[in-house]
Amino acid sequence: MKQAAMQSNIIDSAMRLPAGNPKSEVSAWFDLAERWGISHTVAAPPDEFVMAFNDEGNAMMADLVKQYPDRLSALAVANPWYGEKAVDTLKRAFERGLCGLYLHPGRQGFHLTESVVDPLIEACLEYGKPIYSHTGTPICAMPFQLAELARRFGEATFVMGHMGWTDFCGYDAVPAAQQTPNILLDTSLACSSIVADAIEKLGVGRVLFGTGYPRSRPAHEFEKLKPLNLSEEDFDKYARKNARRIWKINP
Amino acid sequence: MEDQSMKVIDSHTHFPGTSFGCRPRSGEDIRNEFESGGLSGAWIMTTDGLLGEPARHNDLLAEGVRDHLDFFVPFCTVSPNEGTDAALAELDRAVGDLGMKGLKLHPWLQSFSPTHPAVLPILRKAGELGLPVLFHDGTPPYSTPLQIASAAEKAPETTVILGHSGLEDLYEDAILACLRHENIHLCLCSQSAGNISEIVRRCPAEKLLFGTDAGFGDSLIKPAIAKYLDLDISDETLKKIFHENAQALLP
Repeated sequence: MKQAAMQSNIIDSAMRLPAGNPKSEVSAWFDLAERWGISHTVAAPPDEFVMAFNDEGNAMMADLVKQYPDRLSALAVANPWYGEKAVDTLKRAFERGLCGLYLHPGRQGFHLTESVVDPLIEACLEYGKPIYSHTGTPICAMPFQLAELARRFGEATFVMGHMGWTDFCGYDAVPAAQQTPNILLDTSLACSSIVADAIEKLGVGRVLFGTGYPRSRPAHEFEKLKPLNLSEEDFDKYARKNARRIWKINP
Repeated sequence: MEDQSMKVIDSHTHFPGTSFGCRPRSGEDIRNEFESGGLSGAWIMTTDGLLGEPARHNDLLAEGVRDHLDFFVPFCTVSPNEGTDAALAELDRAVGDLGMKGLKLHPWLQSFSPTHPAVLPILRKAGELGLPVLFHDGTPPYSTPLQIASAAEKAPETTVILGHSGLEDLYEDAILACLRHENIHLCLCSQSAGNISEIVRRCPAEKLLFGTDAGFGDSLIKPAIAKYLDLDISDETLKKIFHENAQALLP
């Protein structure tokens, strides 16, 4: 991969805003992202807003998106255990312009196979928004569990966060995604060989570049891509076009 | 990370065999790959031997790296499921006849819990022989940091290394184990940069080791080193992580 020539206008589909002052955190992230040619970021709010305070988190992210519309898109959060309130929260967030739903079953206390999440998926279908779910955490957020959800909601689009990393879950990511075509894989945190396997078996149209920041860092995420030797065309899909398509980001 | 030319010893590598999609390779070939990745030395452990026939694979590893002991530090393995006596006899043989310098255990691949009755005698024997014991960890149900810590607590003279510092989901447990037990050290292999930053902040620098899992036929070394590029870690601490601690732990 001719990284220096290709590395511009990249879209990061997997960033979590660190806890702290949102403006200074997003500003620090933009500084780092710019050094690596990342021009647009799809971000989820910090942990506390994922678990609770969903409305506050969504409002905060919507404000940031309003401030940086060309550089930032944001995922909405709604803990499914809030029931109808969660659905209202999610719809309100979509009306504010957030681009999808972020789920973290480990943090939010549910299994991806539990029907408690169904009303949120139905709201995503109503608004035409994709669902990004953290995966890789036994016993509630494993790749085959996401595949079950995706098979039940075949019209919805799902992103398998970190493609099942870590350890044995990483081996499950591709076989799980092969069960249903409506899953894309976010490659952040996963190692080179598993990303290469996904591209070979699923096609480059089903993978998304993500930094996994702040858990991972661009230095690592770009270094691990070098052995893949992606063509310019494939890299363009992986790091730009696929993200534009599913998050509806204008070039 | 200011000093880009820092000496790097990898405390967690594997000797490729036929499992996990690998192919058998010569010690020289592996050494060349590791050196071109930036390593100055490597603790190396069997891969196939974790799936069965530990004695035969200890022999193969010893033979494979025999001409490169200025670079490789070979670790043997034993199987608790072969019984306490057989495991202790193999440990004696691997050290006395083969010159092994450490012991690798992988509870989920080797199908035992750290609470298996053979584990404690093995750990104590390793301690008597001066061998550090590196466990795979981070993977339920058999390889969680606190399971391993429960065994390590009963063998306080033995150096026990959590080979992945709990991976993504259990790094908090690994930090607690490291802080509670003097004999528990953490290898940062496969950890994300964000978690590495947190582990370095909270754990004694003298108890941390660099590792990559290199040897699985993947280019894991450079991406692993790249994780440290953007982190705020002093060169003094990095020297400890990258080589000083590994050297200090060997018999």
